[in-house]
Amino acid sequence: MPTCTGCSCLCPDIVIKDSKVFNACRKGSAIFKHCKENRAEPTISGEKVDFGKALEKAVEIISSSEKLAVYGLDTIPLEAQEIAIKLAEKKKAYIDDSSAFCLGDFVEMVLKGILPTTTLDEVKSNAYVIFYWGTDPYNSLSRHLSLYTYYPRAGKRQRGYEEDRYLVVVDVRKSHTAKLVKKNAKFIKVDSDEALIEGFLSTMDGKAGKYYEETGRILKEMQRGGFNAIFGGLGLKYGLNGNYEKFVEMVKRMNELTQVYFIPAGFHANMRGFNELMFEKTGFVNRYSFESKKSSPEYEFSELVRNDSVDTVLVIGSDPANSLPFDVLQKLREKRLVLVDPKKSLTSKIAEVVVPSAITGIDQGGTMVRSDGVRIEIEPLWEAEWTDEAILKELLGEVK
Amino acid sequence: MPITPMEVYKLLPKTNCKKCGEQTCMSFAFKLINREKKLEDCTPLFEEKKYAGQLEDLKRLLQPLEEATETGLIVDEELCSGCGNCVVVCPVHASEDPKGMGSGFGPTIDDPILRIEDGVVKVIEMMKCRRYGKNRVLCVACRENCPSDAIRFLEG
Repeated sequence: MPTCTGCSCLCPDIVIKDSKVFNACRKGSAIFKHCKENRAEPTISGEKVDFGKALEKAVEIISSSEKLAVYGLDTIPLEAQEIAIKLAEKKKAYIDDSSAFCLGDFVEMVLKGILPTTTLDEVKSNAYVIFYWGTDPYNSLSRHLSLYTYYPRAGKRQRGYEEDRYLVVVDVRKSHTAKLVKKNAKFIKVDSDEALIEGFLSTMDGKAGKYYEETGRILKEMQRGGFNAIFGGLGLKYGLNGNYEKFVEMVKRMNELTQVYFIPAGFHANMRGFNELMFEKTGFVNRYSFESKKSSPEYEFSELVRNDSVDTVLVIGSDPANSLPFDVLQKLREKRLVLVDPKKSLTSKIAEVVVPSAITGIDQGGTMVRSDGVRIEIEPLWEAEWTDEAILKELLGEVK
Repeated sequence: MPITPMEVYKLLPKTNCKKCGEQTCMSFAFKLINREKKLEDCTPLFEEKKYAGQLEDLKRLLQPLEEATETGLIVDEELCSGCGNCVVVCPVHASEDPKGMGSGFGPTIDDPILRIEDGVVKVIEMMKCRRYGKNRVLCVACRENCPSDAIRFLEG
């Protein structure tokens, strides 16, 4: 069965029949339906050329670079990411992906064992209280609730969402997900995440702090359920602004009462895969320099471009011109830019060389890591001639 | 917004003439919404000129009735994001397909009530819905769990 690589849910039950896509959400089905449209072509400075020539030029640019940054990588399989990391190592380059401004911090804490974690399958069969903290999965990870967490009946939770689950949504506004809060559920509108964390801590101390009504009830429900999960999103990350100690302490204290696990809500299809590979190899998850052999906030891709710390950029499977701030785009235009991507994008318009690759799950297979760390084998619908793995292997072999 | 009998009643002649076969205009309004009667059954509305304006308003008000399925379900595909909440919560799906839709996956039976097709929800087999037939229940599980209001019912 095809697997959808639209987000880190990696939905395994997609059916394609009579040119219709079944079971995938709007985002996922669009990937399958429009996979042949708007495909990138091999170009050098905007001129269409042979694939071989584009690849040769890419090798030439990367070889002649002195300070190279490798960026993107979140939508390609582990096998290709591994080669990209080797390439960065060979060139003593900077390497980074979108996790620097996405949920990389949480993935790091989970990988280091600071926050206890579990798998989505365990959540599906056991979890009672399910937190969505600073995330709106209805819009960003459409099938998260219906496939893995709140709605499915599985294992110990056979009686459905009304009796066997308790939903908690924490957000600054009434999001679409918060609208699902009805019976057996709580929506907490927060101004500051820290205040709510303090609230939980003081309730556990036996004092009535802020949000005491909600926290008291939720803690009681958590103890009743015995297995609970917190899904933290970008709202939580930026709400805490790097000060995670209190949050970690809260989860730790909750674990003295009952079982509570943390899973990063979701991101690009294989962002966690890249973080795991980097963690195994270097001990850091992103923003790494193979020259100074350390990770630093200065090595974040947008900072590198802004500060002119690099002269050449290799972007793989990403569209930074579209997703990064405008001043970064302006600076990015001054760099020598090599793009390896299956689709035409804003970045492909400004790239010096475009090497067209394949879409994971459509014309290339491989392994991807779901948001909870489970490795999923992805079968391609058909095999493309030039996959990300093949292109990067060629680059790694030829680049000096 | 659901159509209420009161809204319909206000636009009817309110003479209780019984030409439609009902005792009162109010009961005719109820039956209009349940689609047991048609607007054409109210003959004064069409024959007498003074009701022309009201007739236009009524036609506009009852327009969604034409689009709705037999159980009164209206699906707005524009608003749907294909989350599949409705497919998974449906009690009929859970009992007929416990390993598929009941467990969160796509349907493994050929004729589900709702199915996600090309990223939006489609009505496939309405006859199975609990809101259909003689022993009907006013189940609203799918609508309750649609945060974007892509699923509505006529009765509200």
